[in-house]
Amino acid sequence: MRPIAQSIGGELVTTKLAMRMEDSLQAFAVRAACFIGELDVPFSEEFDGHDFGATHVIAYVGDEPAGAVRLRWFQSFAMPERLAVIQRFRGHNIGGMLLERCRAQAQARGCNLLYAQALPRDVGYWEKQGWRRLVPEEAGAEPKRIVAMVKAVDPSKPLPEIEAPEAVVLRRDGQLDSTGMPHGTVSN
Amino acid sequence: MAEHRSAAMAGKPVVTIKLASTSDELMQCFALRAAVFMGEQACPYWEEFDGNDYAASHIIMYVDGEPAGSMRLRWFQSFCKFERCVVLKRYRGLGVHHAINSWCKDFARRKGFTKVYLHLQKRHMAMMEKEGFRRVDERVFKFSDHEYYAVYCELPPAADAVCLSTEPMIMNRPEDGLDVEGILEKSAVRGATNPHAPHAARVTN
Repeated sequence: MRPIAQSIGGELVTTKLAMRMEDSLQAFAVRAACFIGELDVPFSEEFDGHDFGATHVIAYVGDEPAGAVRLRWFQSFAMPERLAVIQRFRGHNIGGMLLERCRAQAQARGCNLLYAQALPRDVGYWEKQGWRRLVPEEAGAEPKRIVAMVKAVDPSKPLPEIEAPEAVVLRRDGQLDSTGMPHGTVSN
Repeated sequence: MAEHRSAAMAGKPVVTIKLASTSDELMQCFALRAAVFMGEQACPYWEEFDGNDYAASHIIMYVDGEPAGSMRLRWFQSFCKFERCVVLKRYRGLGVHHAINSWCKDFARRKGFTKVYLHLQKRHMAMMEKEGFRRVDERVFKFSDHEYYAVYCELPPAADAVCLSTEPMIMNRPEDGLDVEGILEKSAVRGATNPHAPHAARVTN
């Protein structure tokens, strides 16, 4: 993994928490560009009902929104998701910078575990960012659609006991006690 | 609705177009534009969201209930300017582009406009000629990594276009629902109680 760039083309790379309407729109625009525009995710799956119960972190190159991540808060862990970097800004580890901001934010809140759900093809990326699989990969097991990844907020301490079932947090909050997934979502 | 049901039964995509009138709908317009312009065409954020979004009307198009397309309309003295027209990649080739164009033309006509103007990426000229657009002149200009023509289209005047003699309570209705009773007409049953006035001076009727 490349070191996190402090500047790109003379423009400073910075992160900030979305605090105002306009900030949130920038985070949404980055996610829409990457997930809807590039990966063809339907709108209603990308904007799944969790956006206003979460914290967004935005990365800027100069004043241009270049990346975003959504951080959701649970009792025993914080969950970064919807990590996106605009195509032309990739290769500078802006993703790493966003995840580090998530880690610091979790630390500031007294949270000691980060949990994420990765596509199998992205597991290598998360491992390079210092994450590991929640459940070790079993040889010969059927490939998963989504892989649960974890990271300690303080790397000098052992990982706390983990109680997050692998799929429950994908559901809308209003559906947490139902068996259904959000409409249109492929089940795990 | 009957039209929608028959379209759904025939297996055709159900297209719904409306004026974005809630922050959710506005946000859908913004997300679609980000997907197409920032995601597909590498447009920088500050060029896409150029400062005119809160001086415009935004139109949202749904296909089978999913946000699928959008248009931004800006109103000048003698013409309506169509801008930021997008159809999400997965909905292209269905002809829905024609649906949003013609909806927007009718919307402008009802507001009294007889001319639409837009800046057209050169590569779309043939498509927009079919929609009735012609070049204003020979100018070719560049912005946001594309070459553009200035094009326009004359609209036939609408018999029911909003004008000064239009019924005031019709003018008060949501602009994409001028033929349907609006919430302010319903408010008339409360009478003119003048809630701003000191309590003793209020008229109750």
